[in-house]
Amino acid sequence: MIKGLLHIIFSSLLYNRKAVLNQVIIIAILAAVITGSLLTGYSVRKSLKDTAFERMGNTSVLVSSGLRYFDTTLSDRLSENLGEKTVSLTELNGFCQTFAEAPVSKKVKIYGVNNDFFRFHGIDSISINKGDVFINANLAKQINLKPGDDIIIRTKAISDIPADAPFATADDAGRSIVLKVSGVLKDEQVGDFSLGISQIVPSNIFINSEDLKNFSDKQKIKHNRVLIKNSENNDLNYFDTVLRQTISLPDLGLNFRTVEATGENELVSDRIFIDQIITDDIRKIIPSAAPLLTYLANTIESDKGLTPYSFISALPSELYNGTEVKNKIRINKWLADDLSVMPDDTIKLSWFAPDSINQLIEKSASFTISRIVNMDSIWSDQTLMPEFPGISGSESCSEWDAGVPVEISKIRDKDEDYWDKYKGTPKAFISYESGKVIWGNNYGPATAIRFPVIISAEEIKSKLTGSFVPSRSGFIISDLRKDSIEAANGGVDFGSLFISLGFFIILSALLLLSLSVSSYFNTKKSQVATLFSLGFKNQLIRRILFLETVLISVTGSLTGAFLGLLVNSYIIKALNSVWQGAVQTDTLTASAGLLPVLAGFTSTLLLILVFFHLKTGYFLNSLSRKKDGVLNLPSQRTNLWVLIAASIILAVVTVSSLLIKDHSIPLSFTAGTLLFITSILLLRQYYLGGIYVSEGSRKFSDLGRLYYRHNPASAIAPVIFISAGIFALFITSLNRMDAGKSASNPGGGTGGYLFWTELNVPVTDDLKTSSGILNYGLDEDPFAEMEFVQISRKEGDDASCLNLNHVSSPPLLGIDPSDFIKKGSFSFASVSEDGSNPWELLQSKAVNNTIYGIADQTVLQWGLKIKTGDTLIIRAETGHHLNIIIAGGLKASIFQGNVLIDKASLRKYFPSVSGSSIFLIDGDHERSESYKTALMDRFSGLGPNIESAGARLASFNEVTNTYLSVFTVLGAFGMMLGIFGLGFIMFRNYNLRKQEFALLSATGFTLRTIRKSLFSDLLLILISGIILGILSALLATFPSIQNSIVVSWKILVITILSILITGVAVLLISVRTIKSESLINGLRKD
Amino acid sequence: MLKLKGISKTFQQRGLVLNNLDLEVKQGESISIMGPSGSGKTTLLNIIGLLDKPDSGTLLFKDEPVINYTGDEAAAYRNRNIGFIFQDHHLLPYLTIYDNIILPTLAYRHSASKSAALEKHARELMEKVGISLLGPKYPVQISGGEAQRAAIVRALVNSPSLLLADEPTGALDLKNSEILGTLLMELNKETGITLIIATHSQLLAGKMSHRMQLEDGKLLPLFKN
Repeated sequence: MIKGLLHIIFSSLLYNRKAVLNQVIIIAILAAVITGSLLTGYSVRKSLKDTAFERMGNTSVLVSSGLRYFDTTLSDRLSENLGEKTVSLTELNGFCQTFAEAPVSKKVKIYGVNNDFFRFHGIDSISINKGDVFINANLAKQINLKPGDDIIIRTKAISDIPADAPFATADDAGRSIVLKVSGVLKDEQVGDFSLGISQIVPSNIFINSEDLKNFSDKQKIKHNRVLIKNSENNDLNYFDTVLRQTISLPDLGLNFRTVEATGENELVSDRIFIDQIITDDIRKIIPSAAPLLTYLANTIESDKGLTPYSFISALPSELYNGTEVKNKIRINKWLADDLSVMPDDTIKLSWFAPDSINQLIEKSASFTISRIVNMDSIWSDQTLMPEFPGISGSESCSEWDAGVPVEISKIRDKDEDYWDKYKGTPKAFISYESGKVIWGNNYGPATAIRFPVIISAEEIKSKLTGSFVPSRSGFIISDLRKDSIEAANGGVDFGSLFISLGFFIILSALLLLSLSVSSYFNTKKSQVATLFSLGFKNQLIRRILFLETVLISVTGSLTGAFLGLLVNSYIIKALNSVWQGAVQTDTLTASAGLLPVLAGFTSTLLLILVFFHLKTGYFLNSLSRKKDGVLNLPSQRTNLWVLIAASIILAVVTVSSLLIKDHSIPLSFTAGTLLFITSILLLRQYYLGGIYVSEGSRKFSDLGRLYYRHNPASAIAPVIFISAGIFALFITSLNRMDAGKSASNPGGGTGGYLFWTELNVPVTDDLKTSSGILNYGLDEDPFAEMEFVQISRKEGDDASCLNLNHVSSPPLLGIDPSDFIKKGSFSFASVSEDGSNPWELLQSKAVNNTIYGIADQTVLQWGLKIKTGDTLIIRAETGHHLNIIIAGGLKASIFQGNVLIDKASLRKYFPSVSGSSIFLIDGDHERSESYKTALMDRFSGLGPNIESAGARLASFNEVTNTYLSVFTVLGAFGMMLGIFGLGFIMFRNYNLRKQEFALLSATGFTLRTIRKSLFSDLLLILISGIILGILSALLATFPSIQNSIVVSWKILVITILSILITGVAVLLISVRTIKSESLINGLRKD
Repeated sequence: MLKLKGISKTFQQRGLVLNNLDLEVKQGESISIMGPSGSGKTTLLNIIGLLDKPDSGTLLFKDEPVINYTGDEAAAYRNRNIGFIFQDHHLLPYLTIYDNIILPTLAYRHSASKSAALEKHARELMEKVGISLLGPKYPVQISGGEAQRAAIVRALVNSPSLLLADEPTGALDLKNSEILGTLLMELNKETGITLIIATHSQLLAGKMSHRMQLEDGKLLPLFKN
């Protein structure tokens, strides 16, 4: 039985081999597109993973101290405790230049490494000696460097003290060294080493750790990264435990010493201030530990005198009895004499304190003198003054470089004498609680932590060792391999992206398949009737047809799945070249994965089988339907009413789109869609006979329309297909994002700013203040007319569309939203449900480590995969989990890739982030070129990267525009395929009407007349589709066109003409194949 | 009126169908051609109607050689001189009966007066064959006999001098076959139209003035009324 059935099936397929081959080819195209797309997704993911693995070398786990530095011995201690290979290095952001005539500077990563770095990665042939500099091939190519060339490397000074911390010395110019390039490292020599998550090839410089001293005031080298080699145990909790046991006080920048004046032991910090979290932890471990805080007062003033620049200590009452009283102050004898004051007199202190955004403001407070102490024992303690850089070690007060404004003229001879004799010995003492309130800051509440004499140094060290939780001490441990895999897997899914982009090819293939199968089934009508008459049951006939379609589907899907490999390789080639704008790299490789091939094969097969099942059912049902002599014409009246209703709505929406300017874009799009629907209804009405010709006025040319009156779907379906395709192509082309048109518009993506400037060495001054303006010489032309918006940045992985990976830790930009509110800069694509202004929400005070943030809508959707209202959790430098509630999604802007938060919040949670490294600059747009030259000159020492805001926006738009180009190309290809479908329709109609044409031939119609009639009917369909698509799209995008959007009209016209010419050619070829001989057969009774 | 001399036709799969066939038909004659299936009856009618070309032989219509007409000339020849009736009525399903009937008049442009005359003629013929009320209906709404009568009117609407009918009663029952045969003979007598009918029906053949048998590619006279 089965053998017999198979024989029938194979015979049938062989007999209808031409039609079967058609279907196999169409299914193969479909499978090739689907499989090719899935393989592209697989290839991109694999390339991203391979690239990340290649760049991290043998690194498996990374221990990072962020912007802080640790003792270089940590790596060895950790290696010993872990039993794994480790290596430490310093990772810095910087820039480099050559001495060429037109010097170029480039953003680079500077790695301070030792020879063990290369050995760690299995490269023994490279050794890096002091004075050596290796660069990677990418950087060598970019600035045309070769071994032996000089390279100027510049970066901000390496310092434990954050540049914005009180009393940190200003070192705005950064530090630079000139070295000779020793060699260019290839990627297999870890030249492209990177710890970040991005497919973009980095620009790298490797120098010997010893040379890092050029960037630092201190002679001791410190590192900020430890790499741990591939380990079988990648449990981060295990690494955290071992790191906790390994961390020593120097790794946290804490130094242990004994105070001569009191005999107590104390901890002081390389950062001047000891973090709140570390202070709390130490006090938890040793409750008797007492923090103290010494600060510089600008003045101490009484009714009778004024003493300038004196240190005052806030002391713990546990160690200094009697200091606990609030608003009371003890002063030393020298100060009492200088101010001529007595106990119970009031004195006023003034000092510089950082505000929430670290701008120094002078504050003051009055205290009542509780006691005058003699300058001996515990009240004469020089060590109370921390190692303020620029002050400690100065020979005289006039040499101070305090990091705060010091008016040398105020310093008297007696002040110099005091400095000579007592140095920074504090002259007054208040309670620690009072001091913490007025001088405590983001960088910490203490300048030292002291321990009672009864606790020995050994006991303290023993209790503190292994007690610091790494994450609370600024350390972050990450499994780089796992993170890279997750980032690649969670990144842009090119599989579904290309399936979406190839939508029209898939649609066209299905349309073609539908037509092909209909024709095929049409020829099988008599065969099915024969089987019926021979007593075959319906079920069996259905099974025979189903098995036929299964064989066709499997053959087509299998062929297509293998063709998908070819499609994939071409897509990857295009992404590496002509479509590089979408991926920003040329390093993608086409990979053949069994899973995507199987998925492509299976999904196509299932899709086609469902399709065939429906088609077979419809076919068999149509055969069993009895002709009952009832004429079923589609209702002309219903169509007319719907047409009238649609026309009215269209008119209302169109007028509204012209009148309501604020909503013109969505209204116009709706109007365009309505015009599309209305036109289809109008065309349907035409075919249904709405434009009626009375009897007696018949012309031969009416014949086609009368045919379609009975079969309107035969005409309307291709019109919908063609017009929808053209509509989509037009909309796509007209939606190409052009930064130029909105470059000067504050509401646009540039915010109305002229330049986006990034500095490798941040500016710590406020350029709105007179001192800031003077420091940078910005009071001269053309700077005086420029407006500067300063932005701080906490580094992270780029979350813009330029990065194909999924990013969980994006860069944070600290901004002052008031600039944007005032200027009306930028626009939002989404805001929170209650409609609050996101800029205003940004300034809300942090509660429970929760703040508000803003990001580009595309960053939210694609980079971070969250939406407005969701919370992004980031590990803060202070050890807290920082919750950032997304207050709004910006329309495409120059901030793409970053998350914006309030500047004060950035300072609070990332105190080591100092200065402003990003500037938005505005001014007279006519003078942009002269501005750029002047800015390059003025900021040359800070590694400026000045780009026009419009150009920056355009670089992001390029990604979107490339995707739109891909859609246009694939869409046009799909349209062409659809046009061939139109030719198929012609054949199908011809076959269905063969007897009709034969009769016309017999009654005296010439072959030319018949061909002309067919051609004009189908030409009307083709042209209707094209015109309808164009008109609807033009109306839908009218506001964009009106706003003089840059439209690639040339490409559009070429595409439309290609569709028209291909369509006409297909129709002409089709009608030419109608021969009179074939018509005669139509007259013969079957 | 019609002279066929030495007509031969070979098909690749069926072999020699018409073999040096001769036929002469006078104006007003009615001829039935009988023969087994595949004997070449339809082929012969197609050659007379210039729907097909013989491999050899000549065809004179009103003493004019028409065999080498171009496609356009052949179409004009058919439109003016020949009416076709088939076993299946071949009415176009999407045209009304009236539109189907006047279809042949649309092949060429006519003056308004000529068009009016053709339409009047069509109405008269409809009246004559008893389908005058069926004009606005569609083929699916009428019976097989009515459809075949409509097909006859369509064949006659251009007042041809020769009517070629290929198994015109093949799809009809006996009663409708009788009606159709009678109608054709009436038309033959009243209008003088020449009839050549290929049929298996003895009844219909019996009504013709000449009966011929197509055998081995040649026409053999059977009977003359």
